[in-house]
Amino acid sequence: MTLEEHKEFPVDSASLKEIRNFAREVLAKDEMFSSTKDDVVLAIAEAAQNIVKHAYSGQPTGDTMRVEITFKDNTLKIDLFDKGKPVIPQNIKPRKIDDVKPGGLGTFFIGQIMDEVIFKTSASDWVNHLILTKNY
Amino acid sequence: MSYKITEEGNVATVHLDGEIDMDVTEKAKEVIMPLIEAGKEVHLNLKEVQYMDSSGISVLIESHQKAAELGTKVILKEISKSVLKVIMMAKLEQILIIE
Repeated sequence: MTLEEHKEFPVDSASLKEIRNFAREVLAKDEMFSSTKDDVVLAIAEAAQNIVKHAYSGQPTGDTMRVEITFKDNTLKIDLFDKGKPVIPQNIKPRKIDDVKPGGLGTFFIGQIMDEVIFKTSASDWVNHLILTKNY
Repeated sequence: MSYKITEEGNVATVHLDGEIDMDVTEKAKEVIMPLIEAGKEVHLNLKEVQYMDSSGISVLIESHQKAAELGTKVILKEISKSVLKVIMMAKLEQILIIE
């Protein structure tokens, strides 16, 4: 089975529900994802939230972000592109889980759910390119 | 997200409904925090919450910490399976009060 779907969304917290629904629809196309679908949807939504919150500092913008979901050779790959502030990968660290405070959990969740997380910059027409992969 | 509040004595029960993400956390805080600040014991019924992300979890942590600071408590009730999974992923099941 191969899968290749993509969609662009306004960079806005109001888009998060649409992004989740898009991911749910795509992942509902094969039963293989049924047991992990909710977790993967959470990881995608957390990554999209980080774009709104950090790449754009929560400021209103007319920009869009692009979400691509592909499945090939037993690997689910999620690509997220944005044109916000360039991400400095070294600065992105999940907070220590025993440090109980509001915030900083999104990156931790992504790391728990996905097998690999890669940040790239200067991605063609975009600024940031986040790649999340999970093996099946 | 929608909500309903019932009060009995010093206990305020907030029934939350829907999906709790970054887009609705301010609204959730506006509902919960004044009850805590009024010294109420707050019961959050999460039976009808189908989705919660890290922003929603932050509201739970913030509410729990604010209540502890003011000498009251926030108790999570009837947590839906999907929300409990996220709470456990965050390893908060021993920190938040769950009944």
